[in-house]
Amino acid sequence: MKAKHNDSIVISVCTGTGGVASGGYKVIDAFKRELAKIDLTARVGPRVHKVGCRGFCAKDVLVDVDVNGQVETYQHVTEDKACEIVNSHIVNKEPVKKWLVKDDYHNFHDKQQKIVLADCGKIDPEVIDEYLANDGYQSVQKALSMDPEEIIEIIKQSGLRGRGGGGFPAGIKWESCRNAQGSPKYVLCNADEGDPGAFMDRSIVEGHPHLVIEGMIIGAIAIGSSEGYVYIRAEYPLAVDRLRLAIDQAREHDFLGKNIFGSSFSFDIKIVLGAGAFVCGESTALMTSIEDNPGEPRPKYIHTTDKGLWGKPSNLNNVETWANVPMIIEKGAEWYASIGTEKSKGTKIFSLVGKINNTGLVEVPMGITLGEIIFDIGGGIPKNKKFKAVQTGGPSGGCLPASFLDKPVDYESLYEAGSMMGSGGMVVLDEDTCMVDVSRYFLDFCKDEGCGQCTPCREGVAQMVRILTEITEGNGTLEHIDLIEELAAMIRDTSLCALGTSAPNPVLSTLHYFRDEYESHVVNKKCPAGVCKALTTFTIDENLCTGCTLCARNCAAGAIYGEKKEPHFINQDKCTTCRVCYDSCKFGAVKKG
Amino acid sequence: MATTVNLTINGKNIKAQAGTSVLEAALQEDIYIPTLCHHESLDPEGTCRLCIVEISGSVRDSIRISCVQKVKEGLIVETDTKRIIHNRKLILELLLGRAPEAEFLVKLAAEYGVTRSRFLTGESNDCILCGRCVRVCRDKIGPHALCFVNRGPDRKLTTDFERLSQYCIGCGACTNVCPTGYIRMEDKGNKRKIFTWDQVIARFTLEQCDQCGNPFAPKRYLELIEKKAYKPKGLEYVDYICPECFKNYGRVSVERQEMALRKSAVKWSVPRS
Repeated sequence: MKAKHNDSIVISVCTGTGGVASGGYKVIDAFKRELAKIDLTARVGPRVHKVGCRGFCAKDVLVDVDVNGQVETYQHVTEDKACEIVNSHIVNKEPVKKWLVKDDYHNFHDKQQKIVLADCGKIDPEVIDEYLANDGYQSVQKALSMDPEEIIEIIKQSGLRGRGGGGFPAGIKWESCRNAQGSPKYVLCNADEGDPGAFMDRSIVEGHPHLVIEGMIIGAIAIGSSEGYVYIRAEYPLAVDRLRLAIDQAREHDFLGKNIFGSSFSFDIKIVLGAGAFVCGESTALMTSIEDNPGEPRPKYIHTTDKGLWGKPSNLNNVETWANVPMIIEKGAEWYASIGTEKSKGTKIFSLVGKINNTGLVEVPMGITLGEIIFDIGGGIPKNKKFKAVQTGGPSGGCLPASFLDKPVDYESLYEAGSMMGSGGMVVLDEDTCMVDVSRYFLDFCKDEGCGQCTPCREGVAQMVRILTEITEGNGTLEHIDLIEELAAMIRDTSLCALGTSAPNPVLSTLHYFRDEYESHVVNKKCPAGVCKALTTFTIDENLCTGCTLCARNCAAGAIYGEKKEPHFINQDKCTTCRVCYDSCKFGAVKKG
Repeated sequence: MATTVNLTINGKNIKAQAGTSVLEAALQEDIYIPTLCHHESLDPEGTCRLCIVEISGSVRDSIRISCVQKVKEGLIVETDTKRIIHNRKLILELLLGRAPEAEFLVKLAAEYGVTRSRFLTGESNDCILCGRCVRVCRDKIGPHALCFVNRGPDRKLTTDFERLSQYCIGCGACTNVCPTGYIRMEDKGNKRKIFTWDQVIARFTLEQCDQCGNPFAPKRYLELIEKKAYKPKGLEYVDYICPECFKNYGRVSVERQEMALRKSAVKWSVPRS
């Protein structure tokens, strides 16, 4: 069967950060070139368009080929593959089976429930008309016809909670901002996503910026604000460009600016670029940063909803929270409240990274278990290694061991377990990870990123890092562990902002669940995972070694010697414990201890 | 009329004016709460965390800083519980690690039984980063000559681009509020220098007193005073009098003003009627 003139052909190429990095734009050009060659006149298109991130970044560039509504997805598409896909799939109607996505792609999506990311990966984020064709900005029109109190009531009923980490009910925040004295009132969007390994907000802004804008407009109507700010990191150039474009397009369509949709309501959004300080994701620091002051938090004894940006009532929510709003207005509070657990409603986006097969962005209903996310959606740990822990909530979250895999993911249960929801970072750690080293890494991050104003966070966290470094270098004592706990309790009690009070979380949670590892470091002077160089020695098991010489060839220090096909040995004086032999041995003959 | 609120501090019932801080209310009743970054003439910033207290009653049970926390009806404050003392000791010990020789800090730490620190950083100086100097310069005097740079433990007090300040007026307010004497001012002959341990913040040549001829204040400082002070309309010339001579004169009298006018007769610009 050949291509007919009345076919509808749509080719969607992922151009999220992962897609662009893997050559998404080149793939688009290649498809356009190839389609031009075959001289095809179809009923709709043929159309090659760019779409946002659909989550499975490990398989980029992902391309959907839609012929008459039949969608097939290709993975790892490159320029060279475009020709064959066009000739075989579009001209001859035979999908190129070898490049189609496999079962893991379907498993990855089966347990997800996409609300916020539903249109991400389907529509072109740079073309407002595609969103408008998908009922875009309908919720704003609906909101304009409602009382502001009615909107707040819907948000309250829906049970939407702040997705930035705190989990404060959004409706209550909006209400107190609406009732606060002072004018003007500001609506702020926190797109300063700084957690290592987190890219939820980035993908939403890159994949569907209009959703965030629409949410903010609805929030402004409810609160009675005429001015909004999006605080976005300058490190997200693609997100900034697309957001800027989206705001311009919304202005052209009269969705932003004076008298939106011809009503008496006016609202406009400005973009403020953050300079990359992690602490500026904290609400008051974000506000001082918008005010052109150094991004330092202020004591929050007066709520920012009463006295925030420039001392005026301000309502700050993060990207994901705003992106949930249009759906709630469109489909109603009951629909939203039916998803999730008793206290945590809706869905949550996690960025699944670390030692996991299916790295990517997942949107799951609240209450799903950690195990389902990591093993069913994430596809488990690579190389059949054992799962050790999962770090949730970014650098200030905690590490949860395997016993929590069947626990539901919601605000309360994660907090009770000694971790937190955070903005949705999820770093999976396998058996080769040293928990002392991990907590030192996260604490070191907080040390460098703290503003340095208050004593406990500035001095205390730095001292904790120093002590943990001593432990990983083999100079630790049991007193050190007590001192860490003492400092952690003090920092939690007395720090100025949430960065400080939560900074000890990784250490406290690992101390709680993996205390034996700490003790092994200080008492036996051994790193069980073989990560801390000073506490690890590598030896070769004579019985397992086949004498393949691979380790000896890879050893940069020249510490491994032995004849071909004879067992090899490691000269401990020369060994730098770099782990190359351990990682390269195919027979498991290199032992750590 | 200002309303008063009732609160309890360490079991003692206290009446305090609404709007005052817990710290102020406690000090009025001679209840001692240690502070470092707090200064009575500056707005509280709440960064040293030494003035922590445990509060309960009309707010959620928590540890708060008393310099920022406002008094509230029914507030119950405990300033010296075991937990507070323990945390304060650790904070003092941490600061002592940064500034082991700062006299003020050593004395305060000794009050809490902290005589040596387990947290010596090795790169110590007397600055405890309380920010009083920055705040007095920025909020009260106005030139904003001092600032903090860097994040986290690298935070450092300095001037713009770590150069001699173009904005410093040489008033010395920073040296006045510095609790440890890290930032200092020195007058030698008609030269003034404001400096820290490792940086000269500004150098000035002092203007002479129009009365006794002694050098006493930098030009930029006098200009700021001139701008802030009341100046009779039409008067262009102002003469500078040092505090000593000013004392002898008492208040600036009509006679004094006339003298100034005589001296500035050439510059008198308003035509006499």
